[in-house]
Amino acid sequence: MPMKIAKATFATLTILFLVAPLIAILPLAFTSSVILTYPIPSWSLRWFEELFFADAWRRAIVNSLIIGTGTTLLATVLGTAASLGLRNRLIFFRGTIRTLFLLPMVVPAVVLGVGMQVLLAGFGLTNSYLGVIIAHTVVAVPFVIVSVTGALAGIDERVELAAQSLGAAPITVFRRVTLPLAMPGVLSGAVLAFATSLDEVVLTLFVAGPNQRTLARQMFSSIRENISPAIAAAAFLFIAATIAIGLVVVLSRSMLAKRR
Amino acid sequence: MAEFIRFDRISKFYGPLCVVENLDLGIDKGEFVSLLGPSGSGKTTLLMMLAGFEQPTSGNILLDGTAINAVPTHKRDMGVVFQSYALFPHMSVGDNIAFPLQMRGIGKAEIGERVKRALDMVQMSALVDRRPSQLSGGQQQRVALARALVFEPRVVLMDEPLGALDKQLREQMQLDIRDLHRRLGLTIVFVTHDQSEALTMSDRVAVFNKGKIEQIGTPRQVYDEPATRFVAEFIGETNLVEGVVEAVQGQEATVRLPSGAQIVSAVSGTVASGQPVFLSIRPERVDLSETRGEARNVLETEVTDSVYQGDHLRVQLQNATHPLIAKLGRRSREFPPGTKVFAAFSAGDCRVIAP
Amino acid sequence: MSATSSRTGRSLLLLAPLLLFLVGFFVWPLFSMMSQAVSDPAVLKLLPRSAEVLTGWDRKSPPSMAMQAAMMEDLKAVDDDQALGDMVRRLNSARSGFRTLMGKTTSALADTANPPADLISIDKRWEKPEFWLAIADALSPYTDRNLLAAVDLGRNAAGAIEHLPPDQSVNRVILVRTFWIAALVTFFCAAIGFPYAIIAASLDGWKRDLMLAAVLLPLWTSLLVRTAAWFILLQEKGLINDLLLTLGIVNSPLALIFNRTGVIIAMTHVLLPFMVLPIYSVLITIPKNLMPAAASLGAPPLRAFVRVLLPLSLRGVASGGLLVFISAIGYYITPALIGGPGDQMISSIIAFYATGSANWGMAGALGMVLLVATLLLYSVYARLSSEEPGRR
Repeated sequence: MPMKIAKATFATLTILFLVAPLIAILPLAFTSSVILTYPIPSWSLRWFEELFFADAWRRAIVNSLIIGTGTTLLATVLGTAASLGLRNRLIFFRGTIRTLFLLPMVVPAVVLGVGMQVLLAGFGLTNSYLGVIIAHTVVAVPFVIVSVTGALAGIDERVELAAQSLGAAPITVFRRVTLPLAMPGVLSGAVLAFATSLDEVVLTLFVAGPNQRTLARQMFSSIRENISPAIAAAAFLFIAATIAIGLVVVLSRSMLAKRR
Repeated sequence: MAEFIRFDRISKFYGPLCVVENLDLGIDKGEFVSLLGPSGSGKTTLLMMLAGFEQPTSGNILLDGTAINAVPTHKRDMGVVFQSYALFPHMSVGDNIAFPLQMRGIGKAEIGERVKRALDMVQMSALVDRRPSQLSGGQQQRVALARALVFEPRVVLMDEPLGALDKQLREQMQLDIRDLHRRLGLTIVFVTHDQSEALTMSDRVAVFNKGKIEQIGTPRQVYDEPATRFVAEFIGETNLVEGVVEAVQGQEATVRLPSGAQIVSAVSGTVASGQPVFLSIRPERVDLSETRGEARNVLETEVTDSVYQGDHLRVQLQNATHPLIAKLGRRSREFPPGTKVFAAFSAGDCRVIAP
Repeated sequence: MSATSSRTGRSLLLLAPLLLFLVGFFVWPLFSMMSQAVSDPAVLKLLPRSAEVLTGWDRKSPPSMAMQAAMMEDLKAVDDDQALGDMVRRLNSARSGFRTLMGKTTSALADTANPPADLISIDKRWEKPEFWLAIADALSPYTDRNLLAAVDLGRNAAGAIEHLPPDQSVNRVILVRTFWIAALVTFFCAAIGFPYAIIAASLDGWKRDLMLAAVLLPLWTSLLVRTAAWFILLQEKGLINDLLLTLGIVNSPLALIFNRTGVIIAMTHVLLPFMVLPIYSVLITIPKNLMPAAASLGAPPLRAFVRVLLPLSLRGVASGGLLVFISAIGYYITPALIGGPGDQMISSIIAFYATGSANWGMAGALGMVLLVATLLLYSVYARLSSEEPGRR
């Protein structure tokens, strides 16, 4: 019995440690004060107004959407195509290629950032949207690969063979069978790619110019330089978006599971 | 009947591993042929080559006299039923069955008509809008069957289609498929490792071992006249007794056992006197009695154990040099262990097999 | 056969775009970063003629007229002040005195009305072989200077490797600090994560879901948001200090931010999911009846745990620990925002060299150290997770 109480206490405290910080800052998004502390003097939406109407924040949000969309498209297309290619067991160095695809997830962002800045400067791509999108795609692609190869691995190859035997040409098999079955994986890969781009700070610090300042980058410097409750408002948006994204991913997974 | 499918000296290697070795096999139109063998004997690989999923390393596959090696799967017009059913999980039952018809550019109205007929045929009309995941194994199998038949393929290939079903359902489906075969005049190539399934359903059974066909024949032939030791042991249960041929008279041979007893037995293939051979004696063909009867072949044995198995009695016997098993009908009397009995069988109930 | 080869061709065609993309924008940047670390063209670029003449020099005797003439021509031809500055800085770091020597020499050479006959007439120091030696050594396009400096080593005048003087030995301190902080964070993650995973795996229904959701929510939340949350909570007037003061546990606010405590707390929070999930995924594959089985065989709970559950779950702890450690050594954002000057890790120093002082050589060298450490640990991790039973 005391063991049980100890376990329950430990679990509760850890859950608190994990979740409480995220919850604790949510109310601060609605403070009317200029300082980020409790107690909150009165409620107000002024920091959301700041977020959406102050020039720096608004531009950062727009930039994040532009760069996030570009990254999502590029990473999803490249990653999905490559995942399909990886299905073929006859490819030489299949394991090595797969590891290469996943490696951007492992390499420290600062190291990649230094190299990327040197390289993109050589192409004249620093301080451009394209440069930032390329950098974000490099780190977003592993998530698409993991997600899509996972979905593809779940497809019974015999289903595709069956389609062939029923008269479907290879391209038709892909269009009517493989792609629809892999779609939940592609979608959750795309969502993860967008989330990665949205949250990326370090590479952005190295390759983006003042005109490509993203929301995450803006949050980083405003925490560093002049912290204000606008941070809490931005965090509120992020957490709300996370929960929405989480729901999408969970739903698509359960959709996938239902088909089995 | 004209020969419809011909495997002409087919070999298949995976690297250095030989899965099918220089195999010849002809199948007639409207015939139901089972490929029977243990896993890894090459039967599924042969089916996959016929379907076009695999390419033979050498040799030709002919369909109606034309080589089809270079024809891609989707143009071969063969209906395949898989063990895992391989239904499209993202399509309804109706859409699954409509798929091959859509691939053939058939009009919507006709598709609807034929899907309905196919569903009626397998008694699944009520479940047309269900997803495969909402069906039981047996129902999924019926849908897979309807999907493979709806486009009236030239050949139907089945790869252990009943392997995942429980015993009762499996036996029901065996009869259903045999019935469809007769009614529609289908040419069916059926892969299984279940010998009773092969015997129940087929016109002919090809017994596979290590990439080769050991014997091909009607169910009665492969059971009663096994050509090789492998066939005798793989199909049904049998007593294998070593012996030496003493004399050959036409279709019969006299074999001397190590105990000294002489047995007169039918012969598969050719044997010469002095040759060491095996005798295959089916346990259910052995009669026991306490008196030496009139039968041609009699062995003196002692009962070591007797097990009641519901529909029969299984008696273990020990002769001077070798054990023997007999299966007795329920009407037979029981023998307690230790009883001295005579095991009797006719010349036609055993078989000489060259090793 | 043709069907197989066309399938392979199709697969390669699908792989090619991403492969090219990553070779161009992932592998190449890493290589160009590493080449920054070893490339040293500042001197060679400006002194091509001297380089030719100096190859014939015996490295001991006083400078010949040919050497001086080549040097004077090279220096006269220089028209890029920034490149000149780079070269002088590079030479001065090898031998002090070059700054004044070069300044004096270039202004003398610029005086066209009164051209000097040779270098020695400009400054007596040009007579000394040591200065020429420094130039000769700096002429190679490659150098190990940055790599050595990354671990606080350098070459002395004789070319032997030795420790840098303590006032220049900052990198090793930072490397040790990086690994120490990463080790501490890994330890705390394991201390919290292992029991947490065990409890979660032993439960079912909504309790297990809740425990997993509590791990997944922070994992999916933006890293920046989590860091911001800790920034707000840990402030002197933040929620945690408020709470401690109200409860009377402390009398004056604790210093929780801009120091090591804050960094450890925030990084443990951020990386805890990476510890819990691998352990959990190993634990749920262990049949639930093993512990009762051990008990039925006479093992008391603690012994059953040590002999049965612990060895089986160790693989999960090892992969989780490696994952946390690998992530921690490369961390930038959290130490940068929550830590003080004494808590900056190797990533911050790399960023400082790259953006702050434009010293690409040092940034590249330290980056290489971090990259190699990361990849080594990752290969261990990959081996560990590929050995998982039931996976190939």
